[in-house]
Amino acid sequence: MGAYVLRRLAYGVGVVLGVLFLLFVLFFAVTEPEDIARKALGDKAPPEAVAIWLENHGYDRPLWPWQNFQENLLFDHYRKMLTFDFGLSDADDSPIVDRIKAGAGPSLSLTVPLLVLSLLAAIPLSLLVAFFRETYIDRMGVFLCVLAMSVSTLLYIIGGQYIIGKLLRWYPISGFDADPLLLPRFLALPILVGILSGIGGDVRFYRTVFLEESGRDFVRTARAKGASEPRIMTRHVLRNALIPILTRVVLAIPFLFMGSLLLEAFFGIPGLGSMTFDAIQANDFATLRTMVYVGALLFIFGQVATDISYGFVDPRVRVE
Amino acid sequence: MIEKRRGRFVLSRLALVLGLLCSACSNDPYPSASSGEKILYSSFTEAPRTLDPATAYTTVSHSVTGAVYDTLLKYHFLKRPLELMPGLAGALPAVEDLGEGRSRYRFVLREGLLFANDDCFELGEPGARTREVVMGDVAFQLMRLADPKVGSPVLEPFSNIDGFQEFGAALAERRESDEAFAARPVHEQYAEIGGIRGIATPTPYTLEITLHRPYPQIKYWFAMEFSTPVPWEAVAYYDGQDGRPRFDDHPVGAGPFYLAEYDKHARYVLEKNPNWYGVRNPEWRAPAAVFPSPADEDDVASGRAEYAGRSLPLIDRVIVVREKESIPRFNKFLQGYYDASGIIKESFDSVVIEGGLSDEMREMGMRLGKSVSPDVFYIGFNFDDAVLGRDGGDRSRKLRQAMSLALDVPEFLRIFNNGRGVVAQSPLPPGIYGYEPDYANPNRRVDVARAKELMVEAGYPDGVDPDTGEALKLGFDTANTSTAGLNQVRFFTNAWRELGIDVEIRPTNYNQFQEKLRRGDYQIFQFGWVADYPDPENFFFLLWSKMGKSAAGGPNATNFMDDRFDELFVSMKARENGPERIAEIREMLSILERERPWIELFHREDYSLYQGWVKNVKPMGLSIPTYQYRDLDPAERAALRAAWNEPVLWPAYSLVFLAVLVVLPGIRTYLKERQ
Repeated sequence: MGAYVLRRLAYGVGVVLGVLFLLFVLFFAVTEPEDIARKALGDKAPPEAVAIWLENHGYDRPLWPWQNFQENLLFDHYRKMLTFDFGLSDADDSPIVDRIKAGAGPSLSLTVPLLVLSLLAAIPLSLLVAFFRETYIDRMGVFLCVLAMSVSTLLYIIGGQYIIGKLLRWYPISGFDADPLLLPRFLALPILVGILSGIGGDVRFYRTVFLEESGRDFVRTARAKGASEPRIMTRHVLRNALIPILTRVVLAIPFLFMGSLLLEAFFGIPGLGSMTFDAIQANDFATLRTMVYVGALLFIFGQVATDISYGFVDPRVRVE
Repeated sequence: MIEKRRGRFVLSRLALVLGLLCSACSNDPYPSASSGEKILYSSFTEAPRTLDPATAYTTVSHSVTGAVYDTLLKYHFLKRPLELMPGLAGALPAVEDLGEGRSRYRFVLREGLLFANDDCFELGEPGARTREVVMGDVAFQLMRLADPKVGSPVLEPFSNIDGFQEFGAALAERRESDEAFAARPVHEQYAEIGGIRGIATPTPYTLEITLHRPYPQIKYWFAMEFSTPVPWEAVAYYDGQDGRPRFDDHPVGAGPFYLAEYDKHARYVLEKNPNWYGVRNPEWRAPAAVFPSPADEDDVASGRAEYAGRSLPLIDRVIVVREKESIPRFNKFLQGYYDASGIIKESFDSVVIEGGLSDEMREMGMRLGKSVSPDVFYIGFNFDDAVLGRDGGDRSRKLRQAMSLALDVPEFLRIFNNGRGVVAQSPLPPGIYGYEPDYANPNRRVDVARAKELMVEAGYPDGVDPDTGEALKLGFDTANTSTAGLNQVRFFTNAWRELGIDVEIRPTNYNQFQEKLRRGDYQIFQFGWVADYPDPENFFFLLWSKMGKSAAGGPNATNFMDDRFDELFVSMKARENGPERIAEIREMLSILERERPWIELFHREDYSLYQGWVKNVKPMGLSIPTYQYRDLDPAERAALRAAWNEPVLWPAYSLVFLAVLVVLPGIRTYLKERQ
């Protein structure tokens, strides 16, 4: 197991180095640093101010090592990313690390309850639909799931804000307050919208998993022994379907840190999703590079964590 | 027994969650704010890049810096066109003509002014929380503007000060050659270099600025935060080290408010500054610290006359919250949670009907504010181009005139801007000296028949180029490559197609376009300009040959050159407002009418909505925050907010009832099966 984990980690390092190179090509070959400077300083900024900005952000150096081996952007990019020295935002010169630290809390306060509540909503519903398989309830459930998946997240957000925030006035249309007593008021609506926008896909996925499990031999045996259907679904099917559920959940856990791009932007939650959204809008490539890199790291971490967790959930799984 | 206990546990947890959600059931986004105080609620979309008054040059930055930093001169809040009046200075500057185009401006500061309380003043005197403002603080800030490391965007206008550029160059050279010097605090560096030759502070309350060439518009720059007094202690202390913020995130000024809370990506709070002279010394009755007397009938009709003579600021606090998306922002405004709002495109037709407010809005007590922005949006022709430019002589002139007559700007505004905007007849927008509302540019009306005649006179009958026998081909460069931007350009090219001209749209990014400008490789383009100050010079300089893009790398992207226009510009620039200046402006406009370097399109018109409880709204056009003049009625706001936002709970009860109806039989069946 240890060798396997090491092998996976080594593979991950290779992927990270590749991702960093792709990031460099993508961000530096597509856009000229002067464009970024103009965006940050405004059209009225004189050339001197642009030149100073480029120097302060280190963009005045050549791109490739063969242009200048000592001072080039490629080596600098690798050095900074690998030592987690993310530097300053291109948009407002704020230290990116500080923004990540400040944004992680609000992001997690949205994504963790969203993940837990989504699971709590989707699993019982999938069990219910699977329980009534091949009946009109099942068919209606699948139809509703496909319908729910077909609707854009933006529509859920705008609709949720309009109906719950504006017409029914249950929760603020947007906003955030870190005070634990006030937090539920601001998170209720984005969490509800997040659950609704994701539940179609979740229920369809878990339903398939449960249906596959419910056709297995041990289920037939349990049924032959006289176990009730609810007991079969909750005790036998659910337990044995844990591996695919776990794969989905463990893979999602690292990304909780990254926040939710649209929910945070529309509901005014100052998290990392909102920060990434800002960076896209402001051509803040330094922040975008960092967030893509952090995302890649978390993905690799998630993959390894998933593989390790299999062994704990299902003793039959052992990787030699 | 175990099942029962488990059931009770689940039920109690469910009740807890429901209880939490119900207790949170309110759409008030400011639950912790006190409703009795005079708090103004506003929003911002993009985070301010910087709050350093030397570099802040956007509306959102100015909304903070304009409140925190005060200036030697101010604009009169009510008079239109805008008029300068004394601010921190006791009077407008005295101007002395030194001959050979040189002049000296002498400002006198009020005595006894204090900066807002701040930790940074410990640097100057242990235990100090503030100190007196002196003219050395203005001189220090002017030196910061010249400092190449600061990167101020306004070097050009301040370069009229004697020795301004030399100071920057000397500073850069010394830093390059002397590392120990470069490591010292900047105020020490400035002192060692010897300051700027044309800036003197003979007494702590006197500032003398010597200009080496005529530039009477310099006075306007002393009504902007670029020239505000800045304490050296703040720049030295807020260096981003040891947990201290950087100076560009922590402004320290002598303005009517101080920045009490600042999370640049989420919210900021401005509090009334107890050290501001209007609050500390109301008996001075300083013009910029009391509400002015009404300037026109509208001021009387809208109740602003009642405020005349009252000490400022009228409100205690401003809370500004980040709201990135326009739809939630507008909906929160309609719920009473913002005191003012722009009107989103999606709701424009339901809010504004025939230029006035809809019945629904009026019933809510809303008020509509309209203001024309001091800007101009235009299409420019490159005068270096063989077909459209000066070498084509009368032929090119007539072609430009024809193209100008083909554009229907009111229709453009109707399609792309909900009809908002004032059709431009000249570069000068309303509110700028020289703008005449009755002036009609003969080449800025829509007259396709005349345009076709001009095409014939220009030698392009039906738009056919006699050299090729095909439609005349021209190119329109645009850096706005969004769908909306390209549609706007298509509107123009379609209009020119009616004349038979085939104008190709050339989308390009900003940098490529700048490169094209440098090379002179362009024919037609679209630009806009927002005024820095209310003087015609700030618009006409865009057509002055000395500012030519190809000749001098200046902002005159048309490369328009006209000796008479230049002569008039130089004379008009140095002249005070009066009949002679107006005559010169009229002659300049007549040159532009004929020569058509620009097709003037429109001046933006902003429509804003204000809640009925907000008083004293009079937009100034320039990006100048006027928080200190605002007033509001918190009791009326609290009552209306409560009435507008009572939760509608019956759908929640129905949902719970429905859920119980669905779940109960299931639980009963399950329990029965277990028995």
